[in-house]
Amino acid sequence: MREITYAQALNEALKECMKEDERVVLLGEDIGRYGGIFQVSAGLLDEFGPKRVMDTPISEAAFVGGCIGAALTGMRPVVEIMFIDFTTVCMDMIINQMAKMHYMFGGRGRVPMVLRVNIGAGRGAAAQHSQSFHALFMHIPGLLVVTPSTPYDAKGLMIEAVKNDNPVIFVEHKKLYAEKGPVPEESYRIPFGKADVKREGRDLTIVATHAMVLRALAIAEEASKKGIDVEIIDPRTLTPLDRQTIFSSVKKTGRLLVADEGHKTCGVAAEISAMVAEEMIYFLKAPILRVCSPDTPVPFSPPLEQAYIPDEKDLLPAILHLMEYA
Amino acid sequence: MIEKALDSYNAGEEKEPVATEVVLPMLGITVEKGKIVEWVKKEGDPVEKGEIIFIVEVEKATTEVESPASGILAKILVPEGVEVPVLTVVGIITEPGEKFSEDAVPQAQSPSSVDSVTMVTSQENASMAADGIDIIKAVPAARRMAREHDIHLRDISGTGPEGLIFARDVETMIARKARPSEVRASTLARRLAEKERVPLDEVTGSGVRDRIMRQDVQAFLKEPETTEMPLGTVIPMSTVRRVIARRMSESAFTAPHIYFFTDACLDPLLDFRSVVLPDLEKRFDIRVSINDFVIKAVALNIMDFPILNAQVNGDEIHIMPEVNVGLAVAMPEGLIVPAIRNADRSGLINIARQRIDLVQRARQGKLTLEEMERGTFTVSSLAQYDITHFTAILNPPQSGILSIGKTDEKLVMEKGQVTVKRVAQIGLSVDHRIIDGAMAADFLQNLKWKLERPSSTFLTV
Repeated sequence: MREITYAQALNEALKECMKEDERVVLLGEDIGRYGGIFQVSAGLLDEFGPKRVMDTPISEAAFVGGCIGAALTGMRPVVEIMFIDFTTVCMDMIINQMAKMHYMFGGRGRVPMVLRVNIGAGRGAAAQHSQSFHALFMHIPGLLVVTPSTPYDAKGLMIEAVKNDNPVIFVEHKKLYAEKGPVPEESYRIPFGKADVKREGRDLTIVATHAMVLRALAIAEEASKKGIDVEIIDPRTLTPLDRQTIFSSVKKTGRLLVADEGHKTCGVAAEISAMVAEEMIYFLKAPILRVCSPDTPVPFSPPLEQAYIPDEKDLLPAILHLMEYA
Repeated sequence: MIEKALDSYNAGEEKEPVATEVVLPMLGITVEKGKIVEWVKKEGDPVEKGEIIFIVEVEKATTEVESPASGILAKILVPEGVEVPVLTVVGIITEPGEKFSEDAVPQAQSPSSVDSVTMVTSQENASMAADGIDIIKAVPAARRMAREHDIHLRDISGTGPEGLIFARDVETMIARKARPSEVRASTLARRLAEKERVPLDEVTGSGVRDRIMRQDVQAFLKEPETTEMPLGTVIPMSTVRRVIARRMSESAFTAPHIYFFTDACLDPLLDFRSVVLPDLEKRFDIRVSINDFVIKAVALNIMDFPILNAQVNGDEIHIMPEVNVGLAVAMPEGLIVPAIRNADRSGLINIARQRIDLVQRARQGKLTLEEMERGTFTVSSLAQYDITHFTAILNPPQSGILSIGKTDEKLVMEKGQVTVKRVAQIGLSVDHRIIDGAMAADFLQNLKWKLERPSSTFLTV
């Protein structure tokens, strides 16, 4: 199969959806002429014209709110927020409007809208352009939260997100845009709430999201040299969350490590850990461990930023620690 | 208390207070913890020696505990509802008028009150935290596996830090249970055991996962057969002895005993056993003893006379649902009575297996409370002594106990002829509150009949 990047896979998914359905429109800052800060919408302005690919002013609350209205009245907008950090200026639109309309009008209004954001440190973009607070959206009922880790998942999940009648927070990862992987040329959908076992193993379960999946896959090879057989589960969507796949894996291995780039406190990993503790505690041979970002802003200093990012250097000691529990 | 302590500090010339420690008593040979459900006396109350001072709960059974001294209950160290290990000092009694100082409060677990018996009986368990909180540390999966396999966590030595029990430790235990005959011992331990003829299965291992080490065999060799008791010495009662003393007096003075004796001709049973023994040994690798036959016969007889399986509970007579026959085992520290479960429904091989396992673990001090408390009838045998018959005190709350004397060759008149028979005298003690003489006589007579006709008695086993 041909290999394309995560950014190209998203681009392809959007293009397919726009071809198929003229109600699909793109809005965002620098997404038209420039093609989007990570080139996800590159070429789409030329193909679909300025009525369907609109560059917006720097006014997130206005264009997100506008899209909610458009979605309620029959459009299927896909909005790009340049960095997840900027959702803070349109939080009322997201949490009080986008997430609530369907519920508050007894199901008579729908918001078939995709809000694209990206997370992840590692690009020297400092504390206001590097955050990973996607857990915030997982906390809000009414929002679907999608977290692709591979080009294949990115395309299939984006097509599903656009066709879904509910508001979707589509969380991309900066460090993954350039990652290549096999992606079918034809259109396909990946259902929400279906985790993917990225690696099968007996000894230890790592539930990993986004870039943590790739980091976990790399460290699993290291661990296998030490005789440790790691299983890696990628939930792919945080809401809905595929509990059963996680539970089955924990039941098999008895050890759980949750790896997510969000902050440790009240994060995705905290939620998954609590869920397993509530329902699967009697299968645990060891404490549940989390590998996450520290509870500090992302540093600008490159050495500090490298230290900050949770990766192989943090995963391996955690794996070894869990394996001490025989 | 701080005020009092200061008082005591200021009044330097006052004599050192002589405080009596109130400890949570040993309530069974393997009971490791208990919970005070009620302090009958409150701080500051005067108490008399022998008065009920608190009520303790162990595995749902409550026991009243008497004050060890007269004086003032000066301090309650362990409040109601908190579970603590046995022998924990739970309170302090001072003499009336005496100042009480906090300095007199001993360490939470006073080693001075741990006597030699408890050293033998209480299993070394690293997870008995020194802070007095008795939680056996185990990972959740280990707890589940132990529960599923009916294993007590306290019987498992954890290999993790501070004795933490890993899932693997339980797996090892499960595997070991499947092969009970295998004794884990170091090479040096085996060599020494062979040289000194020490049966390894009677030695308690102190190594990883109870592996028997050389020093364990050495310790076993040093264990005195009898405690030295020179004339004129005063020996404080061990906790085990105190429990026995309390239970025996309770039984003797609450249950009016009546006694019955009969002769049983054991020739048919002894012959029967010698016929089946080689085959059973070959097939099951188990040596069935005469006691096993007696236990089985007693259990079958209880099915004919269920009142002998009864216990008095207030104004009610509870006929117990299971027939669990206890077997009195003499130990240097005192008598203990583990019970063979469902002896009425168990085959002889199963009874023998249970007996061997229970006796062995009794010697290692590894019985569970449940195994010692589940008995519904007891068999006590002094057949290996030169004793023709004896009376036995009921093992409360049971209502019947069988006492078996030695088997002797006796001249017996049969159909006008003098013949030689091997005869044992069996005795029965019952609780006259609920069992009358005629019933007891009937029971004993029928038991005799069963023992004398082994081929019909054990036909179906």
